[in-house]
Amino acid sequence: MNNFSQQQQKIRSAASRLLADGTVRFVIGWAPTRFAERTTVLFAHTEAEAQALVWNAHCTAALGKYLLDHRLADYAVGIVARGCESRMINRLLTDHQIWRERVYILGAPCPGMDAERCAGCRERAPVVWDELLWDADGMPETGGRQDAAPTNLDEATIADVGAGLALPAVGAACSRPLDTDTSLRSRFFRAEAVEGLSAAEKFSYWDEVYAKCIRCYACRQACPVCSCRACYVDMDRQGFQGKQHSAADNRVFGVTRAFHVADRCVECGECERVCPMGLPILGQTQKLIKEIEALTGEAYVQGMDAEEENFLGAFDLDDKDDFL
Amino acid sequence: MNAANPLLPAACRIIGITDETPDVKTFRLQTQGGAKPFAPMPGQLAMISVPGAGEAMFSITAQGEDWIESSIKRVGALTEALHELSEGDAVGVRGPYGNHFPVDALKGKDLLFVGGGIGLAPIRSLIRYALEHREDYGKLDVLYGSRTTADLVFKEDLFGNWPQRMGTHITIDVPEDGWDGHVGFVPAYIEEKGFSPKGRACILCGPPIMIRLSLASLYKMGFEKENIITTLEMRMKCGIGKCGRCNIGSKYVCLDGPVFSMAELDELPPEH
Amino acid sequence: MMYLLKENFDKAREALAGAYAVVVPDEVLPPKDALFPRSETLYETDRRTGEARAAGAGGKTLLFGVRPCDARAIGNLDAAFLESGYVDANYAQRRENATIVALACAQIPSPACFCDSMGGSPHEAPEADVVLTEAADGSGYALDFQSEKGSAVAEIWKAADLIGPMPAHLEKAPAPTCTLKVNKVPDLAQKLTAAFEDGLWERLAEACLGCGCCTYVCPTCYCFDIGLENRGGTADTFRCWDSCMFPGYTQMAGGHNPRWSKTQRLRNRYLHKLAYFDERYGRTLCVGCGRCICRCPQGLDITRAVEWGERL
Repeated sequence: MNNFSQQQQKIRSAASRLLADGTVRFVIGWAPTRFAERTTVLFAHTEAEAQALVWNAHCTAALGKYLLDHRLADYAVGIVARGCESRMINRLLTDHQIWRERVYILGAPCPGMDAERCAGCRERAPVVWDELLWDADGMPETGGRQDAAPTNLDEATIADVGAGLALPAVGAACSRPLDTDTSLRSRFFRAEAVEGLSAAEKFSYWDEVYAKCIRCYACRQACPVCSCRACYVDMDRQGFQGKQHSAADNRVFGVTRAFHVADRCVECGECERVCPMGLPILGQTQKLIKEIEALTGEAYVQGMDAEEENFLGAFDLDDKDDFL
Repeated sequence: MNAANPLLPAACRIIGITDETPDVKTFRLQTQGGAKPFAPMPGQLAMISVPGAGEAMFSITAQGEDWIESSIKRVGALTEALHELSEGDAVGVRGPYGNHFPVDALKGKDLLFVGGGIGLAPIRSLIRYALEHREDYGKLDVLYGSRTTADLVFKEDLFGNWPQRMGTHITIDVPEDGWDGHVGFVPAYIEEKGFSPKGRACILCGPPIMIRLSLASLYKMGFEKENIITTLEMRMKCGIGKCGRCNIGSKYVCLDGPVFSMAELDELPPEH
Repeated sequence: MMYLLKENFDKAREALAGAYAVVVPDEVLPPKDALFPRSETLYETDRRTGEARAAGAGGKTLLFGVRPCDARAIGNLDAAFLESGYVDANYAQRRENATIVALACAQIPSPACFCDSMGGSPHEAPEADVVLTEAADGSGYALDFQSEKGSAVAEIWKAADLIGPMPAHLEKAPAPTCTLKVNKVPDLAQKLTAAFEDGLWERLAEACLGCGCCTYVCPTCYCFDIGLENRGGTADTFRCWDSCMFPGYTQMAGGHNPRWSKTQRLRNRYLHKLAYFDERYGRTLCVGCGRCICRCPQGLDITRAVEWGERL
């Protein structure tokens, strides 16, 4: 059982207050769409818009990356943050991408949403906040994803943005079917599934993955680690990344991306959620995190505070170099 | 243009290279068979490719019996590769693309050519046309500026050919030893010269800031938007109105442009 | 009217495999890939002489089970690549070689479908060579052969004894209607274009991630890039799908970018779908397939821009 509707009220009240007293320019949260099993992201600019914010099991998008769109802003931004968003925010803070004082964090402990990215999540409660909207007590510390029924659209009014573009609800589902297993998985279950394969099986498995990739770069766009002003992919002049939509060029992108983000990955799983082709992107990164843990013999979890060192970014004269 | 496949370049070679400035070279091109790749109208474009490096769109600055010429500034990967080439080297050429300067509508008018930096390159095609059809046009003036004397393109025209045949007004941004010509920015120089807008059209091309300020000067002097003509630059890939990226609203710069009057541009979204 | 029993549906597809490379559209991606591939070689250049040799653009293909919205989308691609201005050689060759077998929608496939609001119909596919429409009793499909290419398909099916006259007591099931109704005002194109400077575009774009998903799942997005791959003494010039949602799409070598912001890019995409194409080709580019709505990871919805027209 959850307390979604009570908590939703808390989000709306807090957002209204922050907008009314001018603490923030807008509050980033979720709003309904025409479809019962989907929400969209809403930047609530007014108190009226704050009343359109929702909180339900379909709030699957992690909001942290949007802060990057406002990194040069001279105003503060409000954001509803669960465990995943809070770790994304720490990531951006560690990487000096955003100013802490220009983000107002409404902490929202999460019961696990109706998304596969939540299936192995260990951090449901925010790790950084300005205001904790409700207690994490009584909430399962860990647990699988929610297998939620569609939200009741009778209450759902589609977000009335700006000039008032309210939409009538349609009602049925509009998303791809999820894995029916909703139990809590091991943290690295995605990587483990592939580790079991033989070398030849792995090869054909990844061949199939890269044949499907359409290089829409949704994984990059959603990732809080991908904060480079110019991605290597877009450096036409240097030509690091072939533009052809071929399995070979897709593989170059996939592997480069995985290695580039691995030691700073906060395991939010947005890369995997946003992929229109349903490719196992987080598993690839987590395999590398698993290797880091094996190499160092220590737990490696990123995004827990704003000043942590990352494995490849930090250098020490005593670093082992026996892998070279 | 290859009628069966407009994306297919014709094999050409470089038959002459002129160093205009430290970063601008003019390339004279003809087909491997020794012919002119095509006969462009003034202001039209050519897609020039360097085998093994890629292709990019350039304005055609001049043409002769059996050649066309483009003046190209080194700014990116492809132009760098072009600048590495020597006479005799192979290139690909396809075109001509786009509309052209309205040579008929301009008949009988005085023409004021205003260019900044490499912006003189597309205008030069119309200057050459007007000089070849001298009787069709009224008084001709070119007003051209660059940062330093080293950055002036087409020096042979500016100091040799043109002064004898038309009003030629050259300016550089800052004083320089050995330069006794005009010093100052193009927009102020236009006003200083006080060209009358009566019966005169202005053809304008240069960097965005120069365009913006020159337009303000021209409007102040009474030039109508219909009589100010410019040519736009956009990222282009196909040149035939398919690949999408050079659109301004529903217009494609590669097909419907690159030449627009300010009156026409006013009708389009401000996205160029 | 000829008729195909449901139990012969798979056999009908298999029977075509001898004469055509049969393509069954993917569930996520639109069938445009068969006519306008994600990547294709345009020509091969001799790096010494600059001589360019056009590459071939495939043999006979048959698209089996194309939805009416996607068939309509192919009509829009035809307008862009073939019917106005220059003819695109590779598209022309693939299109000439392609036979389209459409499958009318017996049920509405997705709640995001809105083809009938955009002037289409779940049952009509005039661009297709053959249309399969389920019979009212669900026993099989009524067959409309709409072109010479369609007749060739009919001959193959007849020869394999897979089809026969439709029993007199059967009729086509009535066309379903989309659950999603979008009010598209007749002068939407003019209204949206006139609203170019409206602040609402920025609000619509706020939630956009800036990925290219919507453009790649769209059956009518046809923007492309042209690039090059060296192979020793020769170089292959290829073209591949590109996306107007990427900043690099309009970035010039000198650094200037006419559409540097996410809002400008989203506005350009919506206006291309709902206004610019109308102005140029006299038909709306968006066919209402709903893919961009379903696949947008952040829940953006192009019908918001369509319905905005009512208020303008």
